[in-house]
Amino acid sequence: MRNLIFSALLISASLTLPIQSAIAAGDKEVGQVKAYTCTGCHGIPGYNNVYPTYKVPKIGGQNYEYLVIALKAYRAGERDHPTMTLQAESLSDQDIENISAYFASLGGE
Amino acid sequence: MTMIKNTILVLVLVCIPFAASAKGNASAGKEKSAVCQACHGLDGKSVDPSYPNLAGQHESYLQKALGDYRAGRRQNAIMAGFAGPLSDQDILDLAAWYASQEGLEDLSIK
Repeated sequence: MRNLIFSALLISASLTLPIQSAIAAGDKEVGQVKAYTCTGCHGIPGYNNVYPTYKVPKIGGQNYEYLVIALKAYRAGERDHPTMTLQAESLSDQDIENISAYFASLGGE
Repeated sequence: MTMIKNTILVLVLVCIPFAASAKGNASAGKEKSAVCQACHGLDGKSVDPSYPNLAGQHESYLQKALGDYRAGRRQNAIMAGFAGPLSDQDILDLAAWYASQEGLEDLSIK
């Protein structure tokens, strides 16, 4: 029973984490400067990842909170993509929030 | 040398399901997307900002993402459950459907 309660607490705690981390909103003006590197792959329409071959995902107009989660997962090595992990490793939380705010502000609706 | 050959062989095999020029059918994908809509929205724009918008995403990237979730290369408890039972054709159809929607954009360098 104690284990059950503990598990329930753990689950509810993990569910609130993304919400908490998304409270701090980034500055898209600052993010635009940092995001220049990203456009080397994400900015070119139809640009392919070298191998395996698929198109580098569009991120213009993507959700801010999702972008923050994705960049942090790459930085932590939880999402496996060598280029993205290397890029994200150099970013602070604030950088990630700023860059995400910039991409989220573009295109889409 | 054998190591390199084996690596290439594995990479080629991994890609066959998607490289074999099988086509996705967007309208079949729409039919299959009912469960996706609960989180990713009726029009591919997510209902919760912590989930990605899918509308207009590149077809090949959507195929890769679903394939990675299915294989456990990309780990997410929710997506593992949904991607697990998908066939190769399901993945092609769903990717075709979401790619056909209006939404995400490539960034142009300014």
